[in-house]
Amino acid sequence: MAESRASSEGIVRELPRLRQDFDAALAGVRDGAGLQELRTRFLGRKSGELTLLFGRLGGLKNEERRLAGAELNTLKQEVEARLEARRAELEAGDREERLRHDRVDVTLPGRVGPVGRRHPLTVVREELEDIFLSMGYEVYDSFPEVDDDFHCFEALNMPPDHPARDMQDTFYLEGGDRLLRTHTSTGQIRYMLSNPHPPRVRIICPGKVYRRDDDITHSPMFQQVEGLVVRAGITLADLKGTIEAFLHALFGPQYPIRFRSSFFPYTEPSVETDLGCIVCGGGGCRVCKQTGWLEILGSGMVHPAVFEAVNRKLGKVVYDPEEVTGFAFGLGIERVAMMRHGIDDIRLFYGSDLRFLEQFHR
Amino acid sequence: MKVPLSWLREFVEFPAEPRQLGEDLTFVGLALDGLEGRGADAVLDLDVTTNRVDCMNVYGVAREVSVLYDVPLRPLDLSFPEEGPPADQALDVTIEAPDLCPRFCARVLDVRLGPSPAWLRDRLEAVGVRPINNVVDLSNYVMMEMGHPSHAFDLARVPDGRLIVRWARPAERLTTLDGVERALAGRVGVVGGTEGPLALAGIMGGASSEVSDDTRAVALEAAWWDPLSIRRASKALGLHTEASHRFERGADPEAPPAATARVAHLLAKIGAGAARPGLIDRYPAPRPRRATGLRLSRVSAMLGAPVAEPQARQILTGLGFSVKEQAGSWAVEIPSWRSDVSREADLVEEVGRHLGVDRLPSTVPASRGAEGLRPRQSATRAVREALAGAGLTEVINYAFVSDADAGPQAPPRLRLANPLSEEQAALRSSLVMPGLLGTLRANLRHGRRDMRVFELGRVFGATPEGPAEESRVAVLLMGAAAPHWSSERRAADFYDAKGVVELLGRRLGVGALTFVAGGAPGFLHPGLHPDVTEAWELRDEAAVAELELDTLTAAARAPVRFRPLPRSPAVERDLSVIGNEGMTAAEVEARVRKAAGELLKDVSVLKRYARPPIPAGRVSLTFGLVYQDPGRTLTGEEVQASVDRVVAALRAAGLEIRGE
Ligand SMILES: [Zn+2]
Repeated sequence: MAESRASSEGIVRELPRLRQDFDAALAGVRDGAGLQELRTRFLGRKSGELTLLFGRLGGLKNEERRLAGAELNTLKQEVEARLEARRAELEAGDREERLRHDRVDVTLPGRVGPVGRRHPLTVVREELEDIFLSMGYEVYDSFPEVDDDFHCFEALNMPPDHPARDMQDTFYLEGGDRLLRTHTSTGQIRYMLSNPHPPRVRIICPGKVYRRDDDITHSPMFQQVEGLVVRAGITLADLKGTIEAFLHALFGPQYPIRFRSSFFPYTEPSVETDLGCIVCGGGGCRVCKQTGWLEILGSGMVHPAVFEAVNRKLGKVVYDPEEVTGFAFGLGIERVAMMRHGIDDIRLFYGSDLRFLEQFHR
Repeated sequence: MKVPLSWLREFVEFPAEPRQLGEDLTFVGLALDGLEGRGADAVLDLDVTTNRVDCMNVYGVAREVSVLYDVPLRPLDLSFPEEGPPADQALDVTIEAPDLCPRFCARVLDVRLGPSPAWLRDRLEAVGVRPINNVVDLSNYVMMEMGHPSHAFDLARVPDGRLIVRWARPAERLTTLDGVERALAGRVGVVGGTEGPLALAGIMGGASSEVSDDTRAVALEAAWWDPLSIRRASKALGLHTEASHRFERGADPEAPPAATARVAHLLAKIGAGAARPGLIDRYPAPRPRRATGLRLSRVSAMLGAPVAEPQARQILTGLGFSVKEQAGSWAVEIPSWRSDVSREADLVEEVGRHLGVDRLPSTVPASRGAEGLRPRQSATRAVREALAGAGLTEVINYAFVSDADAGPQAPPRLRLANPLSEEQAALRSSLVMPGLLGTLRANLRHGRRDMRVFELGRVFGATPEGPAEESRVAVLLMGAAAPHWSSERRAADFYDAKGVVELLGRRLGVGALTFVAGGAPGFLHPGLHPDVTEAWELRDEAAVAELELDTLTAAARAPVRFRPLPRSPAVERDLSVIGNEGMTAAEVEARVRKAAGELLKDVSVLKRYARPPIPAGRVSLTFGLVYQDPGRTLTGEEVQASVDRVVAALRAAGLEIRGE
């Protein structure tokens, strides 16, 4: 066949035309796909124009093959180098193009995981716990919600038919003498009866309590924190200082605090504590009923009858009212949260309405 | 308790403006609730605590004012002229029940019935009492003034002029002044006549002997009733009056003669009649005044400030206590009107009240050491933080539930004897059912589609030892966790709830949790049972979980023990296992672990696939196996040997293997 008889000159003579064709085609390449097409046309494994020329080398004699091969290789390297250069050129152009055109809509919502939060009363309760922990109080919260008359009333100096029981309308369980505790004061009695280091006590007792009341200021279930300190030499001045420290930590030192005499069956003397109205600053408003003060906390010195009732139950004098004295205090967690957030209906806390709960971010 | 200042000024002069007076009284325990009117017409509204029955009247408040400003308290004018035949000719009184009525006083008054003068009517209206006629008004006026209730019987309508104080008899009935006919069952005291009951003792008079326009003479009663008897009768009858309110808290046993005298005095003063000579006073066992000791050192020790003797003495005597000095302490006689005072602690309070708690120093008791949360409490907080961190919102539901919502096969709930409503008649035995379902339904009604909530709280149940309670944590998930415009919305399912449980396990470090199918309460199947979904009108699938909180927190591990970091690389191999649909991940994993040997460090499920090309009824699980030796780099041969053992074991178990 004529081709097989071709000389090295035949092959070499075709090279300028090939180079010319390549130049022209390369100049027309606009993108990566065009470049790939061009590479296939010249260097394709089966029918690339250069590849075919390499195939024809086999028909040449040794010396001719060497000369033509060298020429072909030079051209092939040149083609590859120029393809690569063009590829780099195109890529750089692409990036510039991308930078010119790629945009994000920064106003579209970001990808946030689900957002949860603790109940606003939990936040307040843990804050109260932390303040008292910092003052060396133990948090005692494992006492029962279903309790009995002794722990809820009798030991707290409210014998049967005591008028003070009217203040706390009680839920009773069917059959038997069990009731839902009306105050966390049951924690005082329960702790003193099982005190690991009698007669010393320094506790707060947070928990749910229950009373038969249901309106915008009363919920049949609500939460209290009770506090009790018992030791030799505890005074009313200690009670005052403790409450002041606590209220300053909770609300800030800018609000005035006043102490006035009051009445609770299980404390004597009994003291009510008012905080300068955080809504109006003391000038008088609807929230404070124009008084400038908000009732925040009831307290007093432990009534000796309480120690005596505990001693009777223990069968020995562990808390001798002549040897130890103590103070107790109690406050409503809802009241603190309502004051802090300006909430006017206590029942919102227990309605599980996410429109309400999701307003709080902690 | 309303206190017109003009009335108060009859007994005490005070140097303060009304507002200031109210604030000063607030500090001694009579909290100012409101201030009406101005200047001479001002009326204080005081919040009198339930123990201070002695201050539920103008004179009692005047006594506090006199001590507050150290000014004299003027006595009540009890003088009056007596006219006509002796009272005991027209009226005879017998106490048949001294346990009900330790003292009964009466006077006979000749009256000219008519309206009260304007000043008297105005004062009654200022304290919230409706004027009726001069006789009834005077009785009310004296109650508001010095605290002791009295009652006027129309003498002409007291059969035979005889009053008999006794317990009501079975089946007796009485129509009271409010026009209600009452059955007097149980221990109800009455003032009876020869023809049946005339009045409810200490609570309300009867219609048959009511003072009317024809009345010419009255029998005026002022008694001292046993507080407990009045309280029980008032509760039994459901009838609470100004009189019963005072008697059940312990009125003044020495007041009845004064109360009748004060009515007689005012009757003469307004020119509406006169008293016949003589006080009928049945007081079979006079009660001596009580006394108790007081140590001044104790006052100082309780208050935390030194208290000067003259000051303490002035306060107590001003309040009507009489103080006698004995060796090292005082013997203090308690005035008859202070039923709330009985022991030393009470006297400490009296002194403290008037010294002013607000003026005491403030100290903080020394702490004996640091305190912290107990492990259970820290773990409980960690549970809340983990759940809030996982995007769940905490809710708190009432512990009361409707007993009707117990659901299929639920154990009996504790029931309340006096619930607020049938909807709140029982105590919950689960947080999810019905609590969180109620949360779900309420929020669905507000148009919510996506919801992630949790609750911590106690549940209740009956045990042979009585009521028991237990802390739980529960979660409910519905709809998408965090819907986003860039991805398809995916509704929560079982694995979301399980994931929350696993998250809790990891956050508390409780170690591996085992999940076993079955044993769930009837309302689950495996999500909410379709019956429940229908009964609760729920539109979407919801996934729930409920755990014993104390079990979870007790298993919490803290602190963590550090393990040295591995120095050699891990080798990962994947294995796809095809088996029948019933094949569980846990059983395959157990076979893998058993066959792999100790170089296998971890196995996890990478993918579950049950669509073509996997044939119907079959399922493919892809496991990722991680091999590692902390001390050296593993060779390809030893890993392959382990994988070969695993493959052989799985094939022996009838499973098909793809991949290695
Ligand atoms: Zn205010």
